[in-house]
This record gives sequence, structure tokens and C-alpha cells, in this order.
Amino acid sequence: MFGISFLSPLFLIGAVAAAVPIAIHLFYRRAEPVIEFAAMRYLRQAPVEQARRRRLRELLLLALRVAALMLLAWAFARPYVSSFAAAFDGAATIVLIDTSASMSGPGQFERARERAAAAVRDTPSADAVAVMSFALTANPIAPLSQDRGGAIAAIAQLQPGSGATRYRAALQRAAQELGGRRGRIVVVTDLQQSGWDAADSGVPQNVSVVVEEIEGPAANVAVTAVRPDGDGAVAVVQNYSSSAVTEQVVFALDGRRLDAMAVTLSPGGNAEARVTTGALESGVLSASIDDRDGFRADNVRYAVLDAASAVSVVVLTASGRPSESLYVQRALATIDGAGGFRFKAVSASAFASLDAAAFADTDVIAVLGTRGLDQQGRQRLAEFVRSGRGVLLTAGPDVEPAVIRQALTGVVTTSWRERNGGQLSFAPDDARHPVFRLFGGTGALGNVTFTRAALIEPSQSANVIARYTDGTPALVEERESGSRVLVFGSDLNHRWNDFPLQPAFLPFVHEAVRYLASPHDGRGEYVVGELAGPTGLTPGAVAIGSSGRRVAINIDTREADPRRMTLDAFQSGISHLHTRAEQQAAAEARQQEDQQSLWRYGLLLMVFSLAAEGLLGRRLG
Amino acid sequence: MSTEAGARRNEQRFLDPATLARLGSLELKARTVVEGFLSGLHRSPFKGFSVEFAEYRQYLPGDDLSTIDWKVYARSDRYYVKKFEEETNLDCHLLLDVSASMGYASNGISKLRYGSMLAACLAYLMNRQRDAVALTTFDDAITAMLPASARPGHLRSILVTLDSLALGSRTDVSKPLHLLADGIRKRGLVVLISDLLDEPERVVDGLRHFRFRGSDVIVFHLLDPAELTFPFERAARFRDIELGDELMAVPSVVRQQYLDALNQAVDRYRQDLGSAGIDYQLIDTSIPLDFALMSYLSTRGRTR
Repeated sequence: MFGISFLSPLFLIGAVAAAVPIAIHLFYRRAEPVIEFAAMRYLRQAPVEQARRRRLRELLLLALRVAALMLLAWAFARPYVSSFAAAFDGAATIVLIDTSASMSGPGQFERARERAAAAVRDTPSADAVAVMSFALTANPIAPLSQDRGGAIAAIAQLQPGSGATRYRAALQRAAQELGGRRGRIVVVTDLQQSGWDAADSGVPQNVSVVVEEIEGPAANVAVTAVRPDGDGAVAVVQNYSSSAVTEQVVFALDGRRLDAMAVTLSPGGNAEARVTTGALESGVLSASIDDRDGFRADNVRYAVLDAASAVSVVVLTASGRPSESLYVQRALATIDGAGGFRFKAVSASAFASLDAAAFADTDVIAVLGTRGLDQQGRQRLAEFVRSGRGVLLTAGPDVEPAVIRQALTGVVTTSWRERNGGQLSFAPDDARHPVFRLFGGTGALGNVTFTRAALIEPSQSANVIARYTDGTPALVEERESGSRVLVFGSDLNHRWNDFPLQPAFLPFVHEAVRYLASPHDGRGEYVVGELAGPTGLTPGAVAIGSSGRRVAINIDTREADPRRMTLDAFQSGISHLHTRAEQQAAAEARQQEDQQSLWRYGLLLMVFSLAAEGLLGRRLG
Repeated sequence: MSTEAGARRNEQRFLDPATLARLGSLELKARTVVEGFLSGLHRSPFKGFSVEFAEYRQYLPGDDLSTIDWKVYARSDRYYVKKFEEETNLDCHLLLDVSASMGYASNGISKLRYGSMLAACLAYLMNRQRDAVALTTFDDAITAMLPASARPGHLRSILVTLDSLALGSRTDVSKPLHLLADGIRKRGLVVLISDLLDEPERVVDGLRHFRFRGSDVIVFHLLDPAELTFPFERAARFRDIELGDELMAVPSVVRQQYLDALNQAVDRYRQDLGSAGIDYQLIDTSIPLDFALMSYLSTRGRTR
């Protein structure tokens, strides 16, 4: 369906001016006397008009004048043809049931089902009703119809899942389901605070949102991490309650119990449970607790032990000495083995002679030095990028931009040049970028001080993801043939900055390397919903890709946090959504109007109307 | 009594005594084409049935020898001419147009009212001269007809009829004219009083029919002063009294063309009717009736 909308509808008030010629017309029409006359046969021989024909012309003139004024107002109102969903006559109710992990508290979901069924029953008889479950995404379980019985039956089949709560996505999907109808969205949820996140759309203005709040457990204990550690395993347990609790953490490998350890958790605190089991090389490691008062879904966490799943990183340095890559090596060495990193430092001159197997096994190359990188090594570097793997280029003192330019000609066009700089720090330009996802904004990155920094000249296709405080690019991403290349505008070995000494260095290096390696699917852990398909919705271990590599699926740790928002905060969030929806609609409208430029046609028609009016008026006398 | 008094008032309305007195001092000099001629007043086309002696007058050269009374000559040896109060049995047909267009009035008196008074004056004069008078009213058909009669009471009938005229519908002069011409069996005088808002050819054709039947024809073409001058100033919608359709006109723009068209029509009537031996008189209804009659009769007298 399409319809005419207006960017500046207030200008349509100007169409009232069309009443002026109408009023003039009516005034003169009334003032024009009618004279009864007998000798009409002689008057008819004079060049006079038939009154009917003249009236017709006058009406035509009037129509042209009115049309001209209305077209003027129309053009100023900046019309555009907008597509919109069919606005149905009847209202509708969408019942959204939260099936996230935070709804898995004792008796919680039973109450949710009852409230959802009641919401369906309470829907006005004339309204259509639909039921959708939501966590990370919203899924219709009963389509929009008058079938209350079917909707209630579908609700009865629902069970809580392990996904994280995402209110905005659910509200957006529900609004989409309404398809332009007026109506309401009934959200049956525990109002978990972590459920709000950034999104780009909201609910329409003619849709109201009603919240059916389901009380959740006041306390919750969750396993938030598990990993192999030397000759044993370690698990992190978080207490979200206001009282101290003791939990028994049970470790298992491939379902076989390894060991158990009790941890005592202070209110709101966390603790590590560490057991010694001997070196764990492969299998699915799990750590579980028996928290019956909190959410059940976060009582267990998995890790896949597979040495091959570690990201293989080759660091090119000037001479290959360990000191030239000390900090990167130390950062990567914090996690070795399964899900960790395998590190290898190679001198630039020896890169060309790196054996084929090691080269093929490499997931990421970090370039910290180029001295001695011969032509064969340069070709190999370009070949590495073309093969779809990741490269981290550091614009440090041992990396010559000319060598990189020559080596990656036609592959990577971003370059840099040296400059003398003062004290600089840097901040993410795109905080949502995976490299900075852990930092939640500037955070600790703002503490890094750069004494020297290269001036990066990003190519047109490059994406600046961090900037120095003087606005110049600090970290630039360029993608080529499926590969990812990050250009860091300084060094990573404590020569031009104090970054390696900052706490942010380690997660930065980890995330950057993981990001560069991600096209190769090197990650060993995903949160529920991150992987496409039903296999990604259940915590545990699943095989992915053609190689059948196993990865762990765990619930989002944010979902374990039982803190709730108030109803008012939720509704104000909806208002914000309204605003955002309006802003987005306004932006789209501006874009559509700009593309269509219907006002030009309006003005053109107005000119034609005026020209026709002029010609007709002259004939009318 | 009251009925007689009303009738008398109506007569007074149509026949203003002053106008009548002035008209009475004139001799109605009708021109007869075929046989009628009356010196002084008018002469009958036949010898009168009732000849009334008036006076003797001494013969003057030029007098008709047949009028010499030879008996007086025998007794007195002088030539005397015998004068008679001559009467005719002339039938005068008054044809009055009562179509809707005759109801137009810009100065208070409509053409119909003016025509009615004119017809009444003429009827009175005819009746006084003992001529038979007939009255026919018409629009696109004959609406009333009083046969010719010279009886004194007939005048009253005519006057009552004229007093009770109602406007008719569309003008169609020629059709009634042809009907009347076919119905007149005796040559006489036909007086047409109309605004002639019809096709001139058809009107003239109808009047020629009377001439063909041997009657003398006089046409009083009545026009309102507004029709003669088109004095309107503001742009207006002119609605046809008869048809109801409207024309939008700016008088200053169309006045000259209108007057040209009118004058062209009047000239054509004057020319075509004159060539047919029909007297034509254009009457402005703002001119007093007596002046109009006198003007006409003077014209008749001069042309005779």
C-alpha cells in the first residue's frame, strides 16, 4: 500500500488560502445582477457569452486558481509517497512472553503462562490476537487471528529458554506483526534490567504497551566462566543475591564427574572454584552448581577443550628476538591451550622461509617489524591476506610503511606516515566493534598515553574504529577478500606508548586477535543465540562448520543478573522508543522526500495552472 | 351601479379625456389601398348605408361635380355642394401582441399596457366613427378574439378585454397573422401592435398576407426605452423574459453591437413593410400616448 505523506504538513494550512478566490468568486457572483430583458434576440447578436458557458469558464478559472494555491501549499508541505503496511480496520493485541533464561526461576514461568493466557482472554472480542515468545529474538507461536483457544493452547506449550532478554527487538517484531494496526502489545516479563540494549527502531505511536510483570527470584547464583587451568580447571561463580551463599561447584568432562569444590560467596561477590584434575587436553568441560532458588539456566557452563581450537598467531619482528614482541607474547600467553592462543615470533627476514605447514596453520599475523622482509616474504604476506586470514599491522618504529605499501599493493591501500606528536590518548570511534565490545565505551582505553603516533591515511573503503584525541585515526580496519586487516597507529611493544602497561592491553590484544581470526572460526565459545540455527539455542557443546569443530554454547552472563527495572523505567524506555521511532521515521521520510522531490512537480503543475488561468482569464475579459 | 362605475373608471384609465380631446380634433385619415378613401375623416370603399346630411356649401372650383345639388341650382341658380356626414363600414382589426416579452417595463409602463392603451384609443376612435372594430390578442397563438362590430356596446367589450389581458408565452407573430388573414373576409384596416421580437421575414410575410387579402395594414412597433438605448452600466446577466436563458454581458462592451442589431432590424421592418405598402411606426413607450398617436396620424396625413 502506498500513500501520500508530508514532511512539513503545517504548510498545508496554506491551502486555506484557496478559500480566497472561492470567496471572491462567490462575492462577485452574488453581486452580479440579473436583469430581465425582452429584446434578447438583438443582444444575442452582440459578442456576449452564454451565461452557462461563462459560468463554466468562471468555474474553470476558479478551479485553476484554487488548484494553483493548493499546489503551492502542497509543494511547500514537501509531499512524498510513503509505503506503509495496510492499516486494517480492526485493532489487535500482541502478547509477548519472555522466554529468556531469567524466566527460569522457580514457578516463574507458570505465572507467566497464566498472565499471558489471561491477557489473551481479556482482549476485546473484536480484536485480533497473536502470541509471540521472545528472548534474543521474537518468534510468533500463535498468528494474528480471532482464535483465542489456539493462542492459549500455544501459550501452554511454552517453556523458558536460555537466551538473553532483548526487549527492543521483541517490541520491534511485535510492532511489525501489527502491520499498521492500532492496538496494544502486552509484555509478560520479569523486567530484567539487562534486557534493554541499543536498537534502531521502536513501536508506532498508535500502539500502547502494557506490561504484565512476573516477579523473579530475589537471589541468583550463576557460573559465569569455566576454563582449563594448568593441570586442572577453574570456574567463576557469581552471587547476585544480597546474602552470602555457599555453593558446591561440580566439574565434569564429557559428562563424567571430575571433581567438586564448595565456594562461599559474599553478597554480590564472586569466587573461583579451582580443582586439580591433571592436564585436560580435549573434551567438553563443564562446571555446575545446584542453585534452586535462582535461575536454573545459568547453573552450568561449558568449555570445549581442543588444543587445535587455539588461535595461531605469528608475530613478525625485526630480528625475531623475544624482547621485540614481549608484551604481545605475554598477553597471548595468558590463555593457552583450548580456546586460547598459540604464539610464534618470526623475524621478518625469516618469514619467507617459514615452513608451509606452519604458514598454513597460522590464523593471524601481527606485524611488529619489517626490517629484512624480502620480496618473497612480502609476497607471502600479501598471499596470507588474500587467503582470507587476519593481519595486525602496527605503525611502530620497526615497521616501514613503504615496505608494507609495496608488499600489500592492491590488497591493502591504507597507509601511514610518521609524525611527531605530543601526548595523545585514544578512544573507540565505534564502541560496538567487537574489538572494543568488552570495554563498554572509552573506559580504561582513555588511560593509554601515546608519545608518538603515526598518521594513518585510511583508504576510502577503510573503517575507522578508534581515534586519537586529536581526531586522527588510531585503529583502522580494512577488509579484503574475506580477510581482516587492522592497522594500529602506534607500536605494541612499549616504545611509543604505555599501552602494554595498561590493564586494557590484554583484552585489547585478545579481542583484536580473536576478531582477526574469526573468519576462520577460531572461537571456542558462543553465547546462546549467537550461532544461527537451533543448535545455538541450547547451552552445551555443538559441532559447527564443515570441519565439525566443537564449540561451547553458554548463556549470556548478563542474563544471570536478576536486577529488574521499574515499570516506570520500562515505560519511559517505551517513550524513548516512540521518540526514536519518530526520529527514524522522520529521517526516512526526509530521505524519501528528497529522493522523490514531488514538490518540483507540484510547483510545475502550479505554473501550468497559473498559465492556463492567465490564458482563460484573458479570453474571459 | 358599482359595476357600471368600475367599467367607467376602466374607460377613463384607457382613454384619458385630454388625449381623447386632442385626438378628436384630428381626422383619422386612413389610407385605403383598394377602395376606401375618406376626405376629412375617411371615405368608405362603398357608398354608405346610412348617409346623414350635414350642410350646403357654395361650389368651389375643384369640387366633384357629382356633389352639386341641381335642385338647389334650379331654385336659386347657384351652385351648391351637398355635404354629408359620411360614414364607412370599414372593419378595423386591432391585433395586440400579449407575448411575455410585451411585459417588459423599464420605466413603469410595460409594452403591453402601453399597447393596450393604444388599442383602446384606436378602438374608441373607430367606434366613434361608427366603424366596426375587432380585437385580437395573441402570443404564439390567438388568445382572445372579439369580432368586428360598430355597436356602441362593443367598445365596452373591447375595453374590458383590454383591461383584463394577461401575459402570454413566447412571441410568434407570423402564425397568428396568417390565421387572422385567412379569417378576414372583408377588406379593412389591420392594426398590429407588437414589439415584433420575431423573425422579421416571418412578420413581414404574415403582414403581406393581409395586404394580399386587400386590407390596409398599420404596424405599431412598441419598444421600451431601455430596449432602444440599452442604458445598463454594470456587467449583468440578462435573462430572456420569454425563454429564461441568460447571457452574461458587459453593457459598455456590447451596447453598440446591440443597438446596431436593433437599428438594423428596425430599418429592415421599415423598408420591407414600406415596400409592401404597410405603414410602420416605431413607438417608444416612454413617449406619451397622445404624442405617439398624433405623430402617427400626422405621418398618415402627410403621406396621404
